[in-house]
Amino acid sequence: MNIKRKGKKGLDFADSGALSDLAFLLIVFFIVIAVFNINKGFILGLPQKGSTKIVNVEEIIKVSLDENNDLLYKDRKLTLDELKILVSDRLEIRPNMTFLLKIKPETAYQNVVNIVDMVRELDVENFSFAMIEE
Amino acid sequence: MKIKRHKKLKPLLPINSMSDIAFLLLIFIMLLSLINYRREIKIEYPEAEYQEVTQKDKNFELYISRTGDIYYKGNTVTIGSLEGCLVDVLAKNPDTMVHIKADKNTEYKNVDGVINILKLLQHRVVSLVVKETE
Repeated sequence: MNIKRKGKKGLDFADSGALSDLAFLLIVFFIVIAVFNINKGFILGLPQKGSTKIVNVEEIIKVSLDENNDLLYKDRKLTLDELKILVSDRLEIRPNMTFLLKIKPETAYQNVVNIVDMVRELDVENFSFAMIEE
Repeated sequence: MKIKRHKKLKPLLPINSMSDIAFLLLIFIMLLSLINYRREIKIEYPEAEYQEVTQKDKNFELYISRTGDIYYKGNTVTIGSLEGCLVDVLAKNPDTMVHIKADKNTEYKNVDGVINILKLLQHRVVSLVVKETE
């Protein structure tokens, strides 16, 4: 009787498909993780300590921020929206205006970030901030 | 005469090498993420809408907790030792971007202390890291 020999089956090419799928999923996972690690925020230019700059008084908006998140402009309390309107109105008249923010030491950092965010939104070129020394 | 018919071959995609490439890529990305590994300190990031990517090739990240503790590479540092670290890093790479990751509820004076050191060292740029408003 002639016994048929079974031909040696090679590795099926399609078998490793799941393996590459898995590897690519892992790659995507690591790439996504890497994207999450990117820092986002505000880049601020710092002046030299003790340096001064002469600015036209009429071109300054001086606002102070206290620990209760109260914004004070010329002894008048403002909300963030009111301040936004004030600054954008002033920008139309004086595009080179300087926004000067004085911050009380106990103020929560988020409140300061809110102001910087507003300054970025309105595209204020000259923005200066300093802590009120006690 | 009997003509032998050729058996139709099943169409197969040779994807064996695909998994090799995928795993090599995977190893490469895993190594990269290991190099970029950083010790995160648990803080509540401040939120803002108009942020930009502040990540650079060389980065110096420091964390400020709610209580005002400063962390660098996972360890608490004092203002004095931070100055030393900054001098070392900035002397090697003056283009290093300094990222301040402060808790949104921390008092501003804690952030100002770090900014003052940067001013003293005549480092002109700082990045205030925030997260997108939810």
